[in-house]
Amino acid sequence: MRPRLLLGAMAGMACLAAGTLLAQDAPRLRGPEPFTVEQPAPPMQRAITNDVRVRRNYPDQPPLIPHSIEGYALDLHANKCMSCHARRFTEQSQAPMISVTHYQDREGNTLGGLAPRRYSCLACHVPQTEARPLVENRFVDMDALTEPERQPGGRSNR
Amino acid sequence: MSGASKTSPPMGGGGAAAPRRPGLIRRLWAWFWGLRLVRVATSPATGFSLAFLTLGGFIAGVVFWGGFNTALEATNRTEFCIGCHEMRSNVFEELQGTIHFTNRSGVRAGCPDCHVPHEWTRKIARKMQASKEVWGHIFGSIDTRDKFLDLRRHLAESEWARMKANDSLECRNCHSAVSMDVSKQNPRAAAAHEKYLFTGERTCIDCHKGIAHRLPDMTGVPGWQ
Amino acid sequence: MDLSRRGMMKAQAAAAAAMAANVTLPAGAQNIPLGEELRLKWDKAPCRFCGTGCGVMVGVKDGRVVATHGDMRAEVNRGLNCVKGYFLSKIMYGSDRLTQPMMRMRNGRFDKEGDLQPVSWDQAFDTMAAHWKKVLKEKGPEAVGMFGSGQWTLWEGYAASKLMRAGFRSNNLDPNARHCMASAAVSFIRTFGMDEPMGCYDDFENADAFVLWGSNMAEMHPILWTRVTDRRLSAEHVRIHTLSTYEHRTTDLSDAAVIFRPGSDLAIMNYIANHIIRTGAVNREFVERHVNFRMANTDIGYGLRPDNVLEQRAQHANDAQVSQPSDFEAYARLVSDYTLDRAHELSGVPKPQLEALAKLYADPKTKVMSLWTMGFNQHVRGVWANHMVYNLHLLTGKIAEPGNSPFSLTGQPSACGTAREVGTFSHRLPADMQVANPEHRKHAEHLWKLPEGLLPGKVGFHAVEQDRMLKDGKLNAYWIMCNNNLQTAPNTNNETYPGYRNPQNLIVCSDPYPTVTGMAADIVLPTAMWVEKEGAYGNAERRTHFWHQLVNAPGEARSDLWQLMEFSKRFTTDEVWPAEILAKAPAYRGKTLFEVLFRNGQVDRFPLSDIAAGYENRESKEYGFYVQKGLFEEYASFGRGHGHDLAPFDAYHEARGLRWPVVNGQETRWRYREGYDPYVEKGSGLQFYGNPDKRANIMGAPYEPPAEMPDQDYDLWLVTGRVLEHWHSGTMTLRVPELYKAFPGAVLFMHPEDAQKRGLRRGQEVKIASRRGEIRSRVETRGRNKVPRGVVFVPFFDASQLINKVTLDATDPISKQTDFKKCAVKVVAASVQAAAPQSAEPDPRGGPR
Repeated sequence: MRPRLLLGAMAGMACLAAGTLLAQDAPRLRGPEPFTVEQPAPPMQRAITNDVRVRRNYPDQPPLIPHSIEGYALDLHANKCMSCHARRFTEQSQAPMISVTHYQDREGNTLGGLAPRRYSCLACHVPQTEARPLVENRFVDMDALTEPERQPGGRSNR
Repeated sequence: MSGASKTSPPMGGGGAAAPRRPGLIRRLWAWFWGLRLVRVATSPATGFSLAFLTLGGFIAGVVFWGGFNTALEATNRTEFCIGCHEMRSNVFEELQGTIHFTNRSGVRAGCPDCHVPHEWTRKIARKMQASKEVWGHIFGSIDTRDKFLDLRRHLAESEWARMKANDSLECRNCHSAVSMDVSKQNPRAAAAHEKYLFTGERTCIDCHKGIAHRLPDMTGVPGWQ
Repeated sequence: MDLSRRGMMKAQAAAAAAMAANVTLPAGAQNIPLGEELRLKWDKAPCRFCGTGCGVMVGVKDGRVVATHGDMRAEVNRGLNCVKGYFLSKIMYGSDRLTQPMMRMRNGRFDKEGDLQPVSWDQAFDTMAAHWKKVLKEKGPEAVGMFGSGQWTLWEGYAASKLMRAGFRSNNLDPNARHCMASAAVSFIRTFGMDEPMGCYDDFENADAFVLWGSNMAEMHPILWTRVTDRRLSAEHVRIHTLSTYEHRTTDLSDAAVIFRPGSDLAIMNYIANHIIRTGAVNREFVERHVNFRMANTDIGYGLRPDNVLEQRAQHANDAQVSQPSDFEAYARLVSDYTLDRAHELSGVPKPQLEALAKLYADPKTKVMSLWTMGFNQHVRGVWANHMVYNLHLLTGKIAEPGNSPFSLTGQPSACGTAREVGTFSHRLPADMQVANPEHRKHAEHLWKLPEGLLPGKVGFHAVEQDRMLKDGKLNAYWIMCNNNLQTAPNTNNETYPGYRNPQNLIVCSDPYPTVTGMAADIVLPTAMWVEKEGAYGNAERRTHFWHQLVNAPGEARSDLWQLMEFSKRFTTDEVWPAEILAKAPAYRGKTLFEVLFRNGQVDRFPLSDIAAGYENRESKEYGFYVQKGLFEEYASFGRGHGHDLAPFDAYHEARGLRWPVVNGQETRWRYREGYDPYVEKGSGLQFYGNPDKRANIMGAPYEPPAEMPDQDYDLWLVTGRVLEHWHSGTMTLRVPELYKAFPGAVLFMHPEDAQKRGLRRGQEVKIASRRGEIRSRVETRGRNKVPRGVVFVPFFDASQLINKVTLDATDPISKQTDFKKCAVKVVAASVQAAAPQSAEPDPRGGPR
């Protein structure tokens, strides 16, 4: 396993050294060339609403929201997210329950419901649009390091 | 108002006065029928043809009915509703940011589409109810944002109750369950509709609260926590 | 590459074949990895993003960061992170990381008009050094400059300050924090004689009411917002009042959303002061014992170029910072103009909301925490705005105790640490000392073991002035580090870009990624970021927090610290210091700047063996001494014993940060208050010891209008700002697919009726134009921000929608911080010629025209 890993790392370095500087969607990340040129505005993107769970990059990553949340109340009066993700509603909604960490207050006590500090769901959980990433991200999944042959590039979908 | 009950009214004292002075009503009745104008109006026409009278009556009816309906329709437009500041700066302001105001195909739901029944008798009933809102406007019961917010739960509850009672009729005027193509809905919505809507177990408003306006404090509302 | 791919495919094939044949693979290739395979190496670090300073745990395997999560042991966040923080693991791995220096070349040599091509570090540094020397010789120290960062580590800022001030003898060093919280920093000094908040985050759990003045904490300080909402939802009596020019996620969770006309916050605060005085809510005893009154100079201009008519018309444009001693009666007279009626007229806020707010401050039983960020600081009267909120707390004595806290939030991870404490502003030295003060300079020269008279006393060019001077050809050698100023400075088309392309100037940009700024620079240096180096940040509550180097930077990328120190090797004292100074101190002759600044017997004092076992430290290994420790300990000598005490270096690698002053190992949570702050004399109860008379200043100032307001031609207010998912100019977060896909482009938030009036609809492409420039964007009439009629909001993270081509380079004349929140624009359809005129046809289903 080790030599393969080394080869992978070497390949990665080769890619980096080759320099991908000018190959990407440049204006979106680096502005127009020259700077003073006026650019068209990119189109607004549609929300992903397919309800397909996205694999997490690592266990502590908050899951992404695979549905539209447009118009959902999240204010002092109402929290629409909890209408499906609260423990007591998950049977009828078949939505994932908020994780056990969400029951803990700042002192680490386990409460009988959603901890107030976790009320702002959208601080951590975000929906996605159909936008295509501007550049590749070469983050490597820990599974690809522990088990490289089953995780080519760490990109398989469950 | 309060003064009226102290001094006895000159006429038409209402049901409360009737049992004590039966003679009054009878006297008034006689006086009314004794009026010349009334006698002429109630005797058969002598100078006009039947055709004229029929046609004239019909036209007058049309004009009256048209006028009534025009007035009714005029008050059944979003512009009319938001003529009042409390509608415009509270509920309409909130509507503007929602899917019912702008969407892919440009079909817009204005205030009456959801809040006034389309069927005639119910519409009239709702319109009569609305006179209370005019009252509220004149006396400023929701003339500030804070007053509106204080009343929001009450206002919302009455709309929820109305829609629950009529099986979300105004929703269904556009979104009928039979014309839904669940394959075009996202899986989550499709599943929920199959399980709850098509079975009649729930009606639209049970789940779709706060879709056009912001929600009141939802404490204790079923399905919310 | 081929080899590895082939190897990979072979393994896959084997696994597939084994599966098909139902064969059990040998243990080494089993489904479930076991033992050592699973082990990740976890270390603490502060988050790379905002000034909150959350602790994160970073998981490393095989030299790569593979996971991060909120640090349960970090006081600030207790296990929580915002969505940006949760994706820290991916910020270093965008495939366009810079791994080699790049230089504009033509025919094999440097040419300002050439294309960026890979070069060696030596080539890049040689070209830079030659230009620096030429400029220093021809024009002197005032023609070289550096634009640094509140995202620099403490020692990077410290090394930069030494190199610029002591090495090149120029104070033309300013951080991007100038755009961020200069108004707050200046007001702290003017009010308390010492920078930074007296309170701390523990105030969140003790306050009865929160008043947010121009701060969308739900998006910009999400984790602090969890502490506010936690308090609000856990204690029934707690209330949140949010003042803003538009509604947003913070107002969604507030009890009162107070939406005021841009700039009128000044009138609101003076009204509250008036209310406090009128209703007898002044804490007389407190005011008599602890407060002085002063009156600010008024009609102070807008920090525009001096030839601007607004500056020439202003009475005190040149002495804006001056104030006069005054008294309570004069202050009461000043604020008595601000009646409820007047405040309502100026601000447009309903009177009941204003009254409720005033009562909150006036009620002695309500503990109030005031919070503010860019709404206050990016304000042409930002210093006054800061003063005015302190005035409210000082009048009522609600200050420097748990829950009673005027609290300035910072935007950058080390705005407090690096920009303010280390002193990387053009007017500052470490520990609140000023370059203009000869005593302070002398003290610095002494601590730095440098010849007397070396440090320049003239305040350098501030951020906006640097751009103007580059354009005017007065600043010719310019190094931009750890920021993206061509995207984030105001009025860039007219005032920033021309200076970068001015043929007289050499522009160097150090960054991990190619940015807008990098692409317009002449030399781009690849930089190590975050846990690719050992670092330290100082957050908004005076907390200093360290981290170890956990992984190596890719390719030839090196930390800013290494770059600064390496560059210093290319200069000798004879080349850059005046002969008369060297004549008086001949021992310094012929030495390199590296030797006199960093090999001075102090910085190089600690051996490599002091580095904790198991950690890489590239800079130290290269130089043979523990660079970071040496720099830190020398820096810390400025503040120890003067109310800025820092703990010993090693303590910070253990603790989840400590709040200064750290005296006898104890951090200080509430400064100026006896029982909490060891610097307060026994029996005095409270002392604002930053000022010689130990009193704080209430500063009287009026409402003055913004520099530019909407008119017939440009009929909308433009407010710019940020969004939760992206960090400032998006250099890191746009390269994380999940964050990018969550908010993939800037949009123009607009009221639906304003859109309809212009014949615009959601998603339509528009031009946003001001008197300075225009950009294209898309209309958003929904979503998280609900702007009132007449106001539009555009975030600045998107390099393809450079809203700062439109903004105005007006600054607070005292703090020199730009007002990014107020200028006049118009919005028209981008395809106005091409499309048929389809403006305001009435909609059949209703809706006003």
